[in-house]
Amino acid sequence: MIIRKLSGILSNFTNLSRVYGVLVIIVILAGMVSIPSLDYHGDRLYPKFIDRDSPLDPYDRGGIPFGTTTVAAEYPENSPYLGYITAYLTPLSFALAGATQHMGTTIVAHPGGIIDEILYATRGLDTVVETTILFVGFAVAAYLFRRRENE
Amino acid sequence: MFDQNIEGAELFALPFGDIVPFFSVYTATLAAFVVVFILISAFDRPERQLNIVFGGDAYYAKEIKESDTRFSRFMAIACGCATLGAVVTGDVFNFTLFAVLVGITNIAIVASAGNRHVLNAAFQYGIVAMIATVPLFGSAAIILATTGTLSIWTLAGMGAVPLLAKALLILGVMGEGIAPLYIGKAEIIRAQGAPFVLMIHFSSLLLFLRVTEIVLVI
Amino acid sequence: MIDTFHTGMIAASLCIIIAFFSFLKETDDLHRLLLTDLASVMALFLIALVGTDLAEALILPGLVVTISKLMALAEIYLVKEGLQKNSPSRILDIEVLQSAPAILASILVIYGIILSGFSGGAVAGLGVIFYLVCKGHQERFELIETVSGYAWVAWIAAFFIILIFPSQWFLAVMIAGGAILIKVTAKLSLIGTMRGESDV
Repeated sequence: MIIRKLSGILSNFTNLSRVYGVLVIIVILAGMVSIPSLDYHGDRLYPKFIDRDSPLDPYDRGGIPFGTTTVAAEYPENSPYLGYITAYLTPLSFALAGATQHMGTTIVAHPGGIIDEILYATRGLDTVVETTILFVGFAVAAYLFRRRENE
Repeated sequence: MFDQNIEGAELFALPFGDIVPFFSVYTATLAAFVVVFILISAFDRPERQLNIVFGGDAYYAKEIKESDTRFSRFMAIACGCATLGAVVTGDVFNFTLFAVLVGITNIAIVASAGNRHVLNAAFQYGIVAMIATVPLFGSAAIILATTGTLSIWTLAGMGAVPLLAKALLILGVMGEGIAPLYIGKAEIIRAQGAPFVLMIHFSSLLLFLRVTEIVLVI
Repeated sequence: MIDTFHTGMIAASLCIIIAFFSFLKETDDLHRLLLTDLASVMALFLIALVGTDLAEALILPGLVVTISKLMALAEIYLVKEGLQKNSPSRILDIEVLQSAPAILASILVIYGIILSGFSGGAVAGLGVIFYLVCKGHQERFELIETVSGYAWVAWIAAFFIILIFPSQWFLAVMIAGGAILIKVTAKLSLIGTMRGESDV
């Protein structure tokens, strides 16, 4: 009886997300028990430190432009120019950093900085895959949209 | 890592900064399969679907537009490349991204179908593939927070990855590949272009083989 | 002793349970599509809990994945429900939009180009949307699509420059920054205008 009911639910594909939701909830509920036993070691790679007085706060990672900067990467030996992007500031952002205390809020928008170091250099393959996902999603939407326009 | 039973000997590693894809005997075998299937979908000629009228002798061939076939072929090749990436990558987060890419290209392969049932199934499948990003990225985040690394090279044999992260990783791949929930796929295979639709099944099979290896190794 | 990480994990788990519980309750396809966005914010939650620079860099892919899947699924939903034909006459019929000076749009685009990078692209794309919404659009869909395709190729080229010739990192960073500016601008302006109105 239960089996018949279950297979009835499973055979209807509009229930797919429902079945999946149940599976996730079960795993999370079971996993919540183990949460207090987890230890935090997340700051081994690219730790964050905050210097409130720096104009680049909270992205000030030190270093001299066009010189070496220490960056806690997973495999520093694979990136011979590690840290160069972290310390680089565009002329505009350099001028902004001299003029205001709030450069850090827009540094992510300029080339250079720690986030660009991770996104472009040390974990570049992630970014390639990510842009490819965007490209595929966009291609599907654009293809269906244009086909509808032509009809 | 290569002292693990499942991996076999190290053949080749490609250092891309923090992400180091590798070919062991196991992943190289999977990669070889993927290459074969990419070639099949690149050079195959899709079938012409026939509709048979019930109770009579009449049948007619469905008209499939050239542009639809070209789109499906492109997405099938993209799906193959994504599977190749997922099979050889040496980083957990990168693997989850490739799995998501496989999920979205799977929907894309059938997106040009005109059949309402196929699109409905693809939509339901797409919703699952989308919410599967939660367990996928969640497991990568938990692995990063508890072990301090994402590289399979470092994680191998450490046994430090919590069970919760492993379960979420498998659940996420299940969502992207819909491996045990095949009912969505039964409808999807009614879409035109047999060799391309085959890629959907093939990619989820290989994703599963790879995630088994990752879970056993880390 | 329960520290911040554990509190955060437990809070995130509760949020995930609530988000996925909504999928059990909801039967309407359109509402489910909207709920997927709610659910995928939970993934960003978990990544943000790590709290390092790496986590910040990983959030970007998480965000982008959601946007692109939502885009593709929404378009499939339109085809599946047969909603393509009945396009609205004009959605944003607001007087200010017709009288707004176009210079605002160009200011946004120029500021976006100065910012460059991802958020620069977003600002510039907003400017383009603003212009198209105000002035109506004779969009050249294929052209923008091609441009964004080339921007993608430029990005990949920058990636390979960094990995194969690390000494040319400066060139690569500039190519990548410029490419993502063009790419995000093109995509945002297209998303903003893909409403199936008049036009080419």
